[in-house]
Amino acid sequence: MKGSRRDFLKKSGSCALGMTALATQMHYFGTMSAMAQRVMDSQQNSPDAGYKALVLLFWSGGNDGNNMVVPNHSDGTISNYAAYSAARGTQGLAIPQASLLPIAVPRLGGLSYGLHPNLGPLTQNGTTIVNNGIYDLYNQGKLAVVTNVGNLVRPLTKAQYQSSAYQKPYQLFSHSDQVNQAQTSISNTQAFTGWGGRVSDKMTLANNPSGLIPMITSISGSQLFTAGQTTLPLAINDSGTPLANVLNPAGFTNSGGAARLTAFNALRSQDLSSNYIAAASHVTDLAMQANTALASAQDVSTLFPNTSIGRQLKQVARLIKDRTDLNVTRQIFYVQIGGFDTHTVELTTHQTLYTQFSQAMRSFYDELSAQSVQNDVTTFSLSDFGRTFNPAGSGASVGTDHAWGNHMFVMGGSVNGGDFYGSLRPDGSGTYFPTLTLGGPDDTDTSSPRGRWIPTTSVDQYAAQLARWYGLAPGDQAAVFPNLVNFPGSFSQLGFLP
Amino acid sequence: MKTKISQVFLRVLTLALALGICPLLGLAQEDPDPNSPTPVLLSAPDSTRALAVSARESSRIALYQIAPQAFAPDSKIVIYVSNIDVMKDEGASAFRVYAEDSRGREYVFPVDGLKSVANYRNVYAVTLRLTDQAGYWEPPLADGDILLRLTWRGLTSNRVRLGLGSMGGTIQDDPGAVPTPVWTKGSSLPTIPTEQPSYVGYKWSGDRLRFMEQATFGQTPALDSRIRRIGLRAWLSEQFQLPYPSAGNPYPNQPLKPGSAPADCDNDQVTVPDVPVTCYRDTYSMYQPQAWFLREALYGDAQLRHRMAWALAQIWVTSGVDVQQGRHMVEYHKVLSANAFGNYRTLMKQMTLNPTMGDYLSMDLSTKNNPNENYAREVMQLFTVGLFMLKPNGTLDCLEHPFPDMTTCASTDTPIPTYDQTTVNNMTKVLTGWTECNNGCPNSVSGTPNYIDPMVLVNGNHDLTAKTLLNYNGAIPADRDIAACTGCTGTAIAAYASASMDHALDNIFNHPNLPPYISRILIQQLVTSNPTPAYVGRVAAVFANNGFGVRGDLQAVIKAILLDVEARGDVKTDPNYGKLREPVQLTTNVARNFGVASYDGTSLSDGVFVGRGDFNGMSQIPFFAPTVFNFYPPSYEIPGTGLNGPEFALMTTSTSIQRANFINTLIFNRINVSNPNIPNGTSLNFTDLQAISTSDPTGNLLLDELNRRMMHSTMSSTMRSTILTAVTNIAATTSENYLQRAKQAVYLIATSSQYQVQR
Repeated sequence: MKGSRRDFLKKSGSCALGMTALATQMHYFGTMSAMAQRVMDSQQNSPDAGYKALVLLFWSGGNDGNNMVVPNHSDGTISNYAAYSAARGTQGLAIPQASLLPIAVPRLGGLSYGLHPNLGPLTQNGTTIVNNGIYDLYNQGKLAVVTNVGNLVRPLTKAQYQSSAYQKPYQLFSHSDQVNQAQTSISNTQAFTGWGGRVSDKMTLANNPSGLIPMITSISGSQLFTAGQTTLPLAINDSGTPLANVLNPAGFTNSGGAARLTAFNALRSQDLSSNYIAAASHVTDLAMQANTALASAQDVSTLFPNTSIGRQLKQVARLIKDRTDLNVTRQIFYVQIGGFDTHTVELTTHQTLYTQFSQAMRSFYDELSAQSVQNDVTTFSLSDFGRTFNPAGSGASVGTDHAWGNHMFVMGGSVNGGDFYGSLRPDGSGTYFPTLTLGGPDDTDTSSPRGRWIPTTSVDQYAAQLARWYGLAPGDQAAVFPNLVNFPGSFSQLGFLP
Repeated sequence: MKTKISQVFLRVLTLALALGICPLLGLAQEDPDPNSPTPVLLSAPDSTRALAVSARESSRIALYQIAPQAFAPDSKIVIYVSNIDVMKDEGASAFRVYAEDSRGREYVFPVDGLKSVANYRNVYAVTLRLTDQAGYWEPPLADGDILLRLTWRGLTSNRVRLGLGSMGGTIQDDPGAVPTPVWTKGSSLPTIPTEQPSYVGYKWSGDRLRFMEQATFGQTPALDSRIRRIGLRAWLSEQFQLPYPSAGNPYPNQPLKPGSAPADCDNDQVTVPDVPVTCYRDTYSMYQPQAWFLREALYGDAQLRHRMAWALAQIWVTSGVDVQQGRHMVEYHKVLSANAFGNYRTLMKQMTLNPTMGDYLSMDLSTKNNPNENYAREVMQLFTVGLFMLKPNGTLDCLEHPFPDMTTCASTDTPIPTYDQTTVNNMTKVLTGWTECNNGCPNSVSGTPNYIDPMVLVNGNHDLTAKTLLNYNGAIPADRDIAACTGCTGTAIAAYASASMDHALDNIFNHPNLPPYISRILIQQLVTSNPTPAYVGRVAAVFANNGFGVRGDLQAVIKAILLDVEARGDVKTDPNYGKLREPVQLTTNVARNFGVASYDGTSLSDGVFVGRGDFNGMSQIPFFAPTVFNFYPPSYEIPGTGLNGPEFALMTTSTSIQRANFINTLIFNRINVSNPNIPNGTSLNFTDLQAISTSDPTGNLLLDELNRRMMHSTMSSTMRSTILTAVTNIAATTSENYLQRAKQAVYLIATSSQYQVQR
C-alpha cells in the first residue's frame, strides 16, 4: 500500500526534486541564483564527515530550574540546602532533601547537589515505568548541567543591571519576548530568524546539498528557532502518525484523482507575484516533497513513553534512523513540552512534567545508542526563563512567577557530562551556581526582592558552543550570533562539548 | 442637490437605527464606487527608467528637464506618481515603495514625503530614501538597475527601473512594460497592464464578495442579495441591531459543575455509569460551545457580531487548555459578544472581572501577600497597549540608541518599552483581592465555584499601598498615581479597590498606544495582514474619537475598518496585500459558499468538526488556543520574507496538507453521522453547480461561476486553464460526472494558495 502510493505520486510528477528546483523556492530567495548566493554564504563551511544532529527540547512556559537542580550540601561558603530550604520551605515549595537524587559536582569541589526526584527511576505499582530517566546519565558522564543561563545582550553585574546605562534584553519576564530571544539568540532587538535557522542557512548547502527534507524539523509546529533567511523547516506531527503517513494528502485516488493531483501541484507555481500566495505555496511544496521522501521510512524499536514529548522524540529518532535515505548529514530538531508556567500548583505539575521529559529523553538516548549514533546527537534544553526563587502563594497551590537565569541540561555521548558548566559573574565574583539569597548578588532587586537571577551565561554563549560542535565554521559565528562579541572570552570557556 | 438629499436620508436612517426604529431597509442605498485608481509611476519618455531626481535638486528642476542618472545607496530621491486621487490627510504613509535587485530580493524603501507637483495636474512627487527599511536581507546590490514598485490602497503601480550605484545591469523589465511618461497636453496616459477582474454579475460584485469575506464567516447567495439590495452601510447598521445568538441557536445552557461532578455524570463509566452516556460531554465539556460556535458561524444571521466576537476572542484569549468547563467558556464569550459593538473600556472592565479570565490568568488567586502578575502583565501586553511605544499610525516610535558603551548594535534604533517590571508590579497590586463570588451573588451555589457573576473583592486580600501605573504624555495623574488607603477597613477598602481598578483601567484605556495597537490587530483579523500606517492611522483616529468625542466606540471602529479605501475595491494587486485564511475561516467560507447541510442534506450541519484529525490538524480548535498568545501572534513574520502574516504561524508542512485533507473531506466524503458525537454530520450541496456544469460540457461556465463566487473574478488565466484541464479530464457523459467536474473544480480552487490567501 505504502509503495503504491509512492509510485502513484512519482507517476503524477511530484517526485523528489532538488530543493532549489522548486518554483516557490526560486521566487523566495531570488530569481538569479539562490543557489549561487548560498554557495557564497557558505564558502567557509566544508562538509564534515559523518552525521551530527542537535535536538532542542524547549520547556515552554518557563521552567523553575530552582527546583530541578538543588544544593544538597551544608557547606557554609556557598549556597547550601539550608539556604534553599529557608527561602522555599515555609510556603511548602522546597523539595525535601532526602528525596533529592544526589550528584557530585567536580567543578564545585565535588560538593553534592541534587536533581529533582522525578528525573530518576520511578515505579508505578511496583514496576519501573518505561526506563530509569536521565539521572544516571549524569553519573555516566552523558548529561551536563549548564547553570544560570539566560537571555543577555551583554554581561551584567547587579549594579549594571540596576543602571539604565547598560543594555538589557527587551521585555524581560514576558513570555513571548523571552521565548523569541532564547530562540533567536538576539536580545537587543526583535529578530526575524532563529539561531537554528541561521545555522541551517550557513550549513545546508555544504552538508545536505541534495537533502530531501530541510535541515531543520519541528515536531511542534512553527517555531522562530527553526526559521532562517533561506531555511524553512519541515513541521510534522509526533509519532502518533508514522512518517510514511505524516504528510499524506488524501483523496487523489477517486474519479479524476490523477488529473486533480497534477493540477493541485501545478497551481503552486502560479500567481507567485503575491508574496502571500508564494509563501503558502512554498510550504505546501516542501510538504509534498517530504511526503514522497518519507514514504519508506522505518519505525524504531525502543519503547518510548506515550506522552507528547515521548512521541515527539520518537518521531525525531525515526527521522534520524532514516537519515541516509533522506540524504542528510546534519539535522536540527525542535521538540517542546509545555505547562511550565507554574504560577500555581508547581509541585504536582513538576512531578508530572519532569517525569515526562526525563523518561522521554532517556528513551531517546537509548534508541540513539541502539542506532549507534549516541555520540553524534546532542540534546539540549532551553526555556522562556527561570522563575522567582521566592514562591508565589503557599500551600497546595504554591507556585512561582516569571524570572530570568535558569539551569539547562545537555545530553549526549559527546557531552562532557557529570559536571556543571557556566561562568562566574562579570566582575569575577561568585561560583558556578547562583547565590540563593533574596536580594543577594545574583538577584535583580534589592528592595522587594523575588529572587530573579541575573544570568551569568548568555544564551548566545550556550548556543554558540552547541553550534560549534555541530560544525558551524568559526568564520560564520559572528553572523549567526551577532551579540556573541559582547561576551569577552567568547564561548570556548564553557566546555560542555569538545 | 441629489447628493444633499441622499445625505439627509442617510441621517434619518442612522437616527432611526439609533432609536431602534425599524426603518424601510428595503430601500436601496447608494454606496460610493469602492475602487481607487491604479497608481502609475512615471518614466522617461522612451524607456521604463523612472523619472527620478535627487531630493535636493527636485525643487529646482522641472519634470521635462530630468535626465537619466544613477543614485547612490542611502541617498534621498524623488520619484513621480500619477493617476492617484489622494484624500485629505492621505500622505506619505499611505504609500510603500518596494525594490527588487538583480538577485531577486525584495526591499522596502521608506517614503518620507508626498506633495503635488506644480503645473502638472494629478502628478505627485514621492520622496524616498534608498535605504532598505525591512532589514531582512543585507543592503541591495548597488551594481545597476533595480525595479521600483509603488503601492497604495492595496494596489500596485507599474514597475520602473532605477540605477542604484550605476545604470544598466541584468535585471529585466516586467513582461509588457511600457514607458509611462508624464502627461502633456494632447497625449494620453498609456495603458498600464494590471490584473483586472473580468466581471460577471452586478456592479462591484467583487468588492461585495470581498466585504463578506471580511465581515462575516463567508458569503452565501442570500447574504449577497441582501447586501446588493441595501448596500454596505445599511447592512452594517442592520447587523449592529440584530439579536445574538440567532434564534434557534442559543448559547448552550450548561450548569456549573459542583466541586466534583455527580457520579452519574462524571465521565467515569466504570464506577457508576453516566446517564445518559453523554452526560459529562453535554453538561460540562467544551463539546457544546465548540459546536455552537461553528453552527453560529455557518448559519447565524448576526454574522458581524459573531465575527467581531471571534476577533476579540483572539485578542482577549482564554483557552480550554486550562478552562475546565463549557459553561465557563460561554460566560466568557458572552462578554465578548455583548461588547463587540460596544465600548472597549466596558469590555476591559467586564473582562477584568470575568471569572473565566480570572481563573485562566490567575488574577482570582492574586492577593496582597501572594500577588500574581499574570493578568496584570497580559492585560497590558496583549489586550490593550502592547510592549512598545507606537506612533498614532501604529508604527514603532524609536529612540536613537541610548547605550553608548555597546561595542556593537544590530540596529541604530531602539524601541521604547511601554512599561517596565515596576509597572507590572504596581498594576498587580491594584488588581489584588478579586475572586469568584461563591456566596451571596445571584448565581452563587454553595460548593460550586461561580463562573457566572463577575468576581468580587475579598477586602482583606487587597493591597492598600500606593501605586504608580503607566506614565505617558497626557496621563491623568489621578489615574496614574493611586494613593495608599491608610487605615482603611471594610467598605472603605471595597470602595478603594473598585475605584483603583477604574483608575487603572482608565490609565490603560487613555494610553496613546491603545487605538493603534488594537486597531491594527482588528484590521489584521478582518482585512489584511500588512495594512499601511495610513490605514491604521485612519482607524486609530476613529478609535480615539468617533467624531462625537467618544473613545473606544467599536461600532465606529468596525465601520472605519470595513469601509476604508484600503479595504474596499474589486481587486487588490499589491503583492503584500491580503491575509492567509485561518482554518476557521477557510472551513466556514467553503461550507457557506456551497449550501452546508447535514450529512444527508435534509437538515442543518451539527457543527461538529472538532475532534476530527483533519480539522484539529489545521491547528485552530475554537476555544482551545495553545496559550494566551493565541493560535498565532499578530506580529508573526513569514520565514524567508520578513513579511508580517499572523496566520502563517499556522501554515506548516503538516497543517498545509491537513487543510487540503479537510477540504477533501467536505467535498468528496462529507462528515458521516456517528452517534453519539456527530448527530447530523455535514455535507456540501453542489446541485446548482452540477446544473451549470451540465449546461456546458466545455467547463467554461462552471469556471466562470466559481471564479466569481470564490475568487471574486480575479482568477488568473493560467490558474483557470490548469483547473479547466483537470475538469475536462472527467468525461462529459453522465450526470454523476458533471457533479464530479464541479467538485473537481471546487477542490482545486479551495485548496489553492490563490484561494487560501484572502485578498
